[in-house]
Amino acid sequence: MSAAPAAGANMSVDLDLYQDIVLEHKRAPRNFGPLPGATHRAEGTNPQCGDQISVALRIEQDRIADVRFQGQGCAICMASTSLMTEAIKGVPTDAAMQLQTRFRGVLTGTDEPDAAYLGKLISLAGVARYPSRIKCALLGWHALGHALQSPLPGSDNLAVPTL
Amino acid sequence: MGEMHATALTLAPLRSLLRAKFPILAQHINGQPLVYLDNAATTQMPLAVLDAMRQFDTTTRANIHRGVHTLSQRATDAFENARETVKRFVGATQAHELVFTSGTTEALNLVAQGLSNRLDGRVGAIGPGDEIIVSGLEHHANLVPWQQAARRSGATVRILLPDAQGQLHIDDLARLLSPRTRVFAITAGANASGERPPFEALLALARAAGAITVLDAAQAVAHSALQMDTLACDFMAFSAHKMYGPMGMGALVGRRAALERLTPLRFGGDMVQSVSYKDAVFAELPARLEGGTPNVSGVVGMAAAAGFIKSIGQHAIEAHLADLRQHTVRGLQQIDGVTVMSAQTRMSAIISFVVQGVHPHDIGTLLDARGIAVRSGYHCAQPLLDYLGTGPTTRASLAIYNTHDEVEQLLDGVAHAIGVLR
Repeated sequence: MSAAPAAGANMSVDLDLYQDIVLEHKRAPRNFGPLPGATHRAEGTNPQCGDQISVALRIEQDRIADVRFQGQGCAICMASTSLMTEAIKGVPTDAAMQLQTRFRGVLTGTDEPDAAYLGKLISLAGVARYPSRIKCALLGWHALGHALQSPLPGSDNLAVPTL
Repeated sequence: MGEMHATALTLAPLRSLLRAKFPILAQHINGQPLVYLDNAATTQMPLAVLDAMRQFDTTTRANIHRGVHTLSQRATDAFENARETVKRFVGATQAHELVFTSGTTEALNLVAQGLSNRLDGRVGAIGPGDEIIVSGLEHHANLVPWQQAARRSGATVRILLPDAQGQLHIDDLARLLSPRTRVFAITAGANASGERPPFEALLALARAAGAITVLDAAQAVAHSALQMDTLACDFMAFSAHKMYGPMGMGALVGRRAALERLTPLRFGGDMVQSVSYKDAVFAELPARLEGGTPNVSGVVGMAAAAGFIKSIGQHAIEAHLADLRQHTVRGLQQIDGVTVMSAQTRMSAIISFVVQGVHPHDIGTLLDARGIAVRSGYHCAQPLLDYLGTGPTTRASLAIYNTHDEVEQLLDGVAHAIGVLR
């Protein structure tokens, strides 16, 4: 499948965009809630609908030891953020940042979706065909990008991770 | 779902004749016939409007005013005739004048900035300590300009808040009015909720208290016969593209005496009487507030749109839209978990609703897959939706060409979307 063919008449949005795994993560988001002992945190907001996602990280020795998110959003936003937390937990910060860049590239059509690299995140590749929804899928990822650069005052890990 | 509507059957042939006048409607979106229910954002244009603009651009186009050549005179006549048509459409009298703008937003900015900017040492009509009352139902375009006007002039904005159902009350306005009230600004139809406030009575009360009264008629002018000669209204703003006319076109109609108080928004050509290297004397109304070359074919299209509405008649349009709205509201209320805003409102073309646990963007995308165009989000009225606690909504909005069959498709689509997403 190429990066962004036009949404065709025979392309069912139910199957294309709202895949079972996406709906399942929307109904039961993983890593949802406050993160005690967070060292980094940032928020993302979509001004058109007021959706807001806050991503908190606990970074230990340049590794994301734990991640949680809070907030509200549409199914695409919640599922994308939930899948993101699964993908980056326990991962070195530079690898998380790489994944963020790559995932953004897939959704904005500059990168080919690579199932081996993206894992479960491939289920969101179809969002690229719905330009008005790309922002929804990237809201949590933007918050992640900012969180990696936003150490909380008073945390043990004040240094911005080397990316 | 829903009952058969007798009017749907009897009017069906007429409706399809009417729909044939809107070429854009005859297309498929995502493999399905287009069901266009985003009319509060923009209505579509009938052939009468498209033809009028094409006729002007292919036979009469030239810059207006001051030209001594024939084509310029014809273009000027087309422009000024269009002004008279649109003035008649909104019941303007000798005591009124109409200024063309790029839309409602520019018209409201012209009023808010025009009342608060200083010119030639003259202080603006709004000064330090004054109060501007704005209804809590407003589109950002009838709130943010007033916030800025208050900031510029040292005045205060006070909000006429709705009750928990989103309704405004006369008594609440009576309590807010004071000798310091300089302006009262309100919508004729709330774009985010579909509420139809008692604006006639509210405007009358505010005027009796000495306030300059401003009506945002953007969401009403396509179906309600708003008449300046009967409303207690100093300024009324509206857009062509929400009344079957072109985009980027609108008007501010006002009492002459009120328009005289406005500082121009744009200085330059066409709005001056004489100019020296040091200074300028401004032209009379309406030219004084219309600096620069206007969108003349847009003005011609706007007048044609007014003619189109008149040819059907506002009473007939209102009856059809009220019928469709009731059909939509009743159908949505039968779907589990759906709450319709301002459900009790009769005359409104807007149905705004929320679904428990389901986000409007997801509903919007799933409806689009069926060719149904609605809008989702804050609808440029974030304070209202935050205040009422609904958050973003899904909004379906109606026009004269919509049908009961389309309403049924919307209801099926919403039920399907909820089934997928829950």
